[in-house]
Amino acid sequence: MSAAVVTTEDKSGTTGEGPVFAVSNLWKVFGPKADRIPGDSELTALDPAELRERTGCTAAVRDVSFEVNKGEVFVVMGLSGSGKSTLVRCLTRLIEPTSGSLAIDGEDVLAMDKARLRELRRHRAAMVFQHFGLLPHRSVLDNVAYGLEIQGVGRAERRAKALAVVEKVGLEGLEQRRPGQLSGGQQQRVGLARALAVDPEVLLFDEPFSALDPLIRRDMQEEVVRLHREEGRTMVFITHDLSEALKLGDRIALMRDGRVVQLGTPEEIVGSPADDYVRDFVRDVARADVMSVRSAMRPVGEGEDTPGAALAPDAKVAEAIEAVARSGYPVRVMDGKRCLGVVDHAGLLAVVAGTDPARPASAPGEVVA
Amino acid sequence: MATATASTPARDTGIGALLRHRAVGKLLLLAVAAAVLVPIVDARWASGAWPDALTVDLTEPLGKTTDWIIDNRDSHWLFTHFLGHVSNAIVLSVRGVYLVLLAAGWAGVTVGAGLVAWRVAGVRLAVLASSAFAVCGLLGMWVPTMQTLALMIVAVLASVVIGLLLGLAGGLNDRIFRILRPVLDTMQVLPAYAYLLPFALVFGMGVPAAIIATVVYAAPPMARLTALGLRGADGGVMEAVTSLGATGRQRLLSARLPLALKELLLGVNQTIMMALSMAVIASVIGAGGLGDRVYQALSTVDVGQALAAGIPIVLLAVVLDRVTGAAGERAGAPADDRSPLRGRRGWSFAAAVTVVAALAARFADRVDWPVDWVVDIAPSVNTAKEWMVDHIYTGVPVVGGTADWAANFTTWVLNPVRDGLQGLPWWSVLLVVAALAWVIGTWQTALTAVAAMAAIGVLGVWNKSLDTLAQVLAGVAVTLVLGFAIGVAASRSKRLERLLRPVLDVFQTMPQFVYLIPVVALFGIGRAPAVAAAVVYALPAVVRITTQGLRQVDAAAMESSRSLGATSWQQLRQVQLPLARPALMLALNQGVVLVLAVVVIGGLVGGGALGYDVVFGIAQGDLATGLVAGVAIVCLGLMLDRVTQPTARRAKKGA
Repeated sequence: MSAAVVTTEDKSGTTGEGPVFAVSNLWKVFGPKADRIPGDSELTALDPAELRERTGCTAAVRDVSFEVNKGEVFVVMGLSGSGKSTLVRCLTRLIEPTSGSLAIDGEDVLAMDKARLRELRRHRAAMVFQHFGLLPHRSVLDNVAYGLEIQGVGRAERRAKALAVVEKVGLEGLEQRRPGQLSGGQQQRVGLARALAVDPEVLLFDEPFSALDPLIRRDMQEEVVRLHREEGRTMVFITHDLSEALKLGDRIALMRDGRVVQLGTPEEIVGSPADDYVRDFVRDVARADVMSVRSAMRPVGEGEDTPGAALAPDAKVAEAIEAVARSGYPVRVMDGKRCLGVVDHAGLLAVVAGTDPARPASAPGEVVA
Repeated sequence: MATATASTPARDTGIGALLRHRAVGKLLLLAVAAAVLVPIVDARWASGAWPDALTVDLTEPLGKTTDWIIDNRDSHWLFTHFLGHVSNAIVLSVRGVYLVLLAAGWAGVTVGAGLVAWRVAGVRLAVLASSAFAVCGLLGMWVPTMQTLALMIVAVLASVVIGLLLGLAGGLNDRIFRILRPVLDTMQVLPAYAYLLPFALVFGMGVPAAIIATVVYAAPPMARLTALGLRGADGGVMEAVTSLGATGRQRLLSARLPLALKELLLGVNQTIMMALSMAVIASVIGAGGLGDRVYQALSTVDVGQALAAGIPIVLLAVVLDRVTGAAGERAGAPADDRSPLRGRRGWSFAAAVTVVAALAARFADRVDWPVDWVVDIAPSVNTAKEWMVDHIYTGVPVVGGTADWAANFTTWVLNPVRDGLQGLPWWSVLLVVAALAWVIGTWQTALTAVAAMAAIGVLGVWNKSLDTLAQVLAGVAVTLVLGFAIGVAASRSKRLERLLRPVLDVFQTMPQFVYLIPVVALFGIGRAPAVAAAVVYALPAVVRITTQGLRQVDAAAMESSRSLGATSWQQLRQVQLPLARPALMLALNQGVVLVLAVVVIGGLVGGGALGYDVVFGIAQGDLATGLVAGVAIVCLGLMLDRVTQPTARRAKKGA
């Protein structure tokens, strides 16, 4: 049933642990008697408009399956109304899924009772919201400490922890301000700090930077990249902004009308779009910044020997263009001592122009992320 | 002109367009219904006043009920085991608060009030509060002021607690909210006066009845605002709080309630103002205190005494309103208090100073307000009033006198309107009510309005109610003409608005009862003064709503019309007034409700009609007459509110 084109082999095997989130065949239908929709193959075949007309229901999430691996940034991307915000809320049952299965570290989330679910929200998954969701009557410090307060952590301890997190997100000196006195970017730092303060296993971001100015947004994106580098925390990141998705995501699930239409690395999404919708979506992307040299590589020709410059297989096409332009010759792609192939003008141009038919980036065994 | 000419060619002017217009459609439907029903009704019961055949005489059953209650008050279990306890608890708590106030003495109360005001609202209001109490003492009204204050404290505490509980229930539970909401909305439009009798009947005249009537009148705004505040909590914040794993209790206490703090404080403010208003009116059923002094003085047309008791009421109202209002505004702002006396320390300091002041007065043997510090203003006010009676009541060249105006107003406006209404066939009154209510509102409001009007007929007080209605209509007409004129002027001149604002602020906080004093001084007694008091009472609200409505007209629309070269008159007529229509309708609705509230109180100063029946019923112990009149007032209030209730109001209130 799933229309998703999964172009990446699961990497979970490499760490030896199960995925953090395992979602399969998840449905969320809003409307009267929503339960009957997912099981009814006639109804599930309808497109959104027909479904609404027939049943009065809206399927926000339709038969979605994916796994989020430990330590990765998993981005869910889609335009407004694609169901991505509903999807992320289903993960901690802020919105109750209609059907499907959902597990965190192998534990069935849908089977959790109230107390267990609270435990999940308190310690394992914390969320950052588009509109911050700060308590206006509390100071920055008390907002950051709020999650700990709810857990029943003592005043002195939670303040000390909150203070450390406030410094980590760069809000020193503003601890006693009220949220209303801060700029949007600062408020979102408070939101981020509040989520970090409870030291969750997973951070969930729901379009956290959409309400911010472009420059502030870039700062915040870099903040997230930095945090991820330093702490290696698993993140699920919802966005409608393709460049944000490409910049942050280890893997991206692209949603449309409640379905995941493609799931893969940024390079796969850009390099081999699953359908016309995705192709249209990624058309304006600066491909040279996303695609790696693997996609432009050709085997070393007979008797061809290009000493000098060499590129790593993960190097972006943009770097390769620079290297090729400087040397004037095809450049080798080296994985350690092994020469994987060469890139030349023609191959690089084909990638940039997007004329290159999607060729498999490499054999699965060669992927060493 | 540009906008008008642009749209004219597009308008199609045929019969079809006329039918498509919703108001016309409704009226046609009504006309058809009337054409069928009226001949039948006419043949069966004849036209003219409400037919006797359709009335139900309630005097006897009501009289029996009254007798039964009076006979069984000391023996029946309902009284001995429930209502008696309620009544005793009220008497005890009022008595207790009163004794504490007296023990604190004038020094303790004055200083204490100032310090409380300082803590919650700042230095300026502290000075205002203290001096207000000092003036009460100066006027020789210390003891009645304390009586009223004791009543108020008990009534407000009870109202706030009850309102909060109801509000919590309504704010957290959808079904309760759906039930509660229309009830609360309706209770808020009913005249305070109508609440008095049922409680006087059950509890007898005195403090318990007064307190309960006050609580029933004052708790709805607290409940309503609490419920709305809790429901209005930012969904994003609530979701964030849930996402952090908060329990239901934590969500309520740490997020939902603090987020609604502004509404809660506004509710407290409104509750206090309504409680004061009612505590004063409840003097009619034996509440005592300042209201009683005004009531006694008015019944002998002793304007001087009435004023001496009325000024403390106004002062109390202004102080209570400003202090609670300022507390509400402060709650929203971040605390930047860096003084050494912030928080708990400030409060203990205030308490300590109050105790010291009270003790100091006690040791100086000055617990009661010193007699030689009393300024008796009554004789001089009465002298001034005598002078007015002699000089401006009548015979002033060209303009005539105030009494002449009143007489003319009665002769040329009130009498013709009343006679006209009473002369109409009864079914035509119902038809007009239905037509107005339906055109302005929905078929539901029309149905309620017609039912309320019919109930009046059934109760057998058709003519009296039409008399009251005539006074209301005259009052509303005057109020609207003045109110819209002043409102339009104020919306166009920042200067005038600035001048008007403090006046409106004070006028809007004064209890209804107080308005009777100046009109009696100016116009004597009768129906015209009652209408005048109603106009003065309703005018500020109408002016304010009109001004705000016109001011809040979309700036872009105004700018674009100016850019098209519209004159300011064209702007007003073609942009502002049409766009401010909802506000103007609200002003009409408020005007009608407020005018009715005071017109019925006018029964105390010769307004006659339903208001007088209520007073008469209380004074003569003929509660049946009073109750019927009270129910008729409620029906009249319902009818008037529904007739003027635009469809948009419900939606707007939900926001």
